[in-house]
Amino acid sequence: MAAPLVLVVLVAVTVRAALYRSSLAAFISERVEVASPLNAWKRVVEGLALLDLGISPYSGAVFHETPLIIYLFHFVIEYAELVFMITDVLTAVALYLAIQDFNKVVFKKQKLLIELDKYAPDVAELIRTPMEMHYIPLKVALVYLLNPYTVMSCVAKSTCAINNTVLAFFILATIKGSALLSAVFLALATYQSLYPLTLFAPALLYLLQRQFIPIKPKSKSFWLYTMQYAALYLCSLVVIICLSFFLLNSWDFIPSVYGFILSVPDLTPNIGLFWYFFAEMFEHFSLFFVCVFQINVFFYTIPLAIKLKEHPMFFMFVQLAIISIFKSYPTVGDIALYMAFLPVWSHLYRFLRNIFILSCVLIACSFLFPVLWHLWIYAGSANSNFYYAITLTFNIGQILLVSDYFYAFLRREYYLTHGLHLTRQDGTEAMLVLK
Amino acid sequence: VCTSRFWFNYRHVANTLSVYRSVKRLGIPDSHIVLMLADDMACNPRNPKPATVFSHKNMELNVYGDDVEVDYRSYEVTVENFLRVLTGRIPPSTPRSKRLLSDDRSNILIYMTGHGGNGFLKFQDSEEITNVELADAFEQMWQKRRYNELLFIIDTCQGASMYERFYSPNIMALASSQVGEDSLSHQPDLGIGVHLMDRYTFYVLEFLEEIHPASQTNMNDLFQVCPKSLCVSTPGHRTDLFQRDPQNVLITDFFGSVRKVEITTETISLDRDVAGFESKFPRDEVATEPLKYAEQLPVAQIIHQKPKQKDWHPPGGFILGLWALIIMVFFKTYGIKHMKHIF
Repeated sequence: MAAPLVLVVLVAVTVRAALYRSSLAAFISERVEVASPLNAWKRVVEGLALLDLGISPYSGAVFHETPLIIYLFHFVIEYAELVFMITDVLTAVALYLAIQDFNKVVFKKQKLLIELDKYAPDVAELIRTPMEMHYIPLKVALVYLLNPYTVMSCVAKSTCAINNTVLAFFILATIKGSALLSAVFLALATYQSLYPLTLFAPALLYLLQRQFIPIKPKSKSFWLYTMQYAALYLCSLVVIICLSFFLLNSWDFIPSVYGFILSVPDLTPNIGLFWYFFAEMFEHFSLFFVCVFQINVFFYTIPLAIKLKEHPMFFMFVQLAIISIFKSYPTVGDIALYMAFLPVWSHLYRFLRNIFILSCVLIACSFLFPVLWHLWIYAGSANSNFYYAITLTFNIGQILLVSDYFYAFLRREYYLTHGLHLTRQDGTEAMLVLK
Repeated sequence: VCTSRFWFNYRHVANTLSVYRSVKRLGIPDSHIVLMLADDMACNPRNPKPATVFSHKNMELNVYGDDVEVDYRSYEVTVENFLRVLTGRIPPSTPRSKRLLSDDRSNILIYMTGHGGNGFLKFQDSEEITNVELADAFEQMWQKRRYNELLFIIDTCQGASMYERFYSPNIMALASSQVGEDSLSHQPDLGIGVHLMDRYTFYVLEFLEEIHPASQTNMNDLFQVCPKSLCVSTPGHRTDLFQRDPQNVLITDFFGSVRKVEITTETISLDRDVAGFESKFPRDEVATEPLKYAEQLPVAQIIHQKPKQKDWHPPGGFILGLWALIIMVFFKTYGIKHMKHIF
């Protein structure tokens, strides 16, 4: 399997290198869908230039990335394009290895449940075989590398790619079972953009499952492991933050990075939901609504944890999707990461209800973004409502995509345990309805 | 300056043209007049008498005439262009007729008419100029020595608000109405179908018709021009910034171009011999070395004046700490047995 992966990697690197040399690179770096105030390359360069002039890069609201990014790019800024291509390749390879291991785990679990007779007798067509699962890791790497969103994000040199790499390594470490590495990478991801904090729950659930610790509130080993993992995570986070203090000898990266993410002062339009609301809101209410919007991101963790505690990987996927939809400054790079996971759930295809409409909505909206931007900003014949409408539609499409997969997943689980041909009490055929 | 468009604002164009006509009659040439008309009434398709703009009903006085030179016409009358003309900050390609070529000995008359409100004047139904902007423009003119004395006349509703904010010296201002009052129009002409003039400017025009280049009428008479009985609104004026007493300021100082001519009856001979002229100024005996440009400007000194910028480097402690952490995590995950491969 290494050879096809190498081929895919080569193709992806060629595409990116070709785009870097073309005139599209400048156009793409300016697009607001790809570069947000948090991860635009222009701002990184600006921050480093300020540093060369002897001023703190966090003075003036121009640079909102973490000090470790400053450290990373201080030395490699001339080879920035190479760095971003390498990060994309690393992400893809990490996802490839992670999904390979995950498939083994899934298959093992399936075998165990079949032997334990937990499945109904007529679900033979729902059982997954190693043959069909063989190419999934390659498909994941392919989808990630050749996704137009990823390519655009790489060509724009947005640091979202680095965040994706850290998240991919976190997923790899979690699936391999190493609590320390998983905690360290999660701490790095949280340190860079605050929202991966919510990925703590699925990672914890997966590690518990791997250690065969039952998830019962009364069980001592459950709490012990949770405490261990939480301690590892928090300690690494604290260590990283303290280390960043020593880079510039000041704490002003905390309000610039985390204060910025949480209080959303910059209302440049992007593909998210925050900018329009806060642009038209009275100052009186803005604190309340900022809190409401931010809680919205973190809120879905607990209900999903309760429902999906047997399936932490799917929980991870849904959580990643929720982060990229509801975060304060989303870009298409975030979307690319969770879309890379879609081939893992390709066996759910027969249960997906809206996949055609959703893919049309997503593709159409992706094309309409630059059109309506042009109409609004350059032609002056549209206004921000048009662009926001497309943003809303795009996000609704994403939410429906995630909920569609969620529905399909739950439906498949139900069929597995209750059989494909459901009958009511009087013997007629029953239909499964999501309430 | 006339700032209003559309046929029903005929009277603003007639106002402006009548003042234009008066100042031309009193001697100011077109090269010294910047006329801004926001719309063309004479050739407007609704004008029953094309190529004319009347100021009196029964078509007594055609202020359009044969030799009107409009410098800014139609959509060129914008706040930006007006301020650029005043302050002189115009692109180098602007023709001379569109510039205000004044200097520090020039007396400037500015007449503006249109629709206005408390603190603003409306331009072309799409933008406004505020009294603060106008005051700042006049201050720029003062600092650039673009005027000696300035007379500002405005005929709009609540016109007095426009001169409230002036703070530059040597400005005298007149307005057709106070804040909170509307300036009213004078008389409609049933043949043309619109109001022809505004009251204030109508009476100012009547007043100016009696001025000739030699008249000694002063500003105090201009202040009395339109009492409330005739104008319905209360005209106002402001002279606190003006250094001379308005009593001593002639109307022709602003409205006319009156040269002081002194007639003498004796002849003055200009000396043809200029040799005596030279001997008064002896040539410098000492021959100094001609100064070359390089010596006047010590470029070498200037180059080395800026301190060399030191590049920023991350502190050593940080790098050490970071890599120590990375190595610790690596060994914790993969076991201590790899240590012997490193050393």
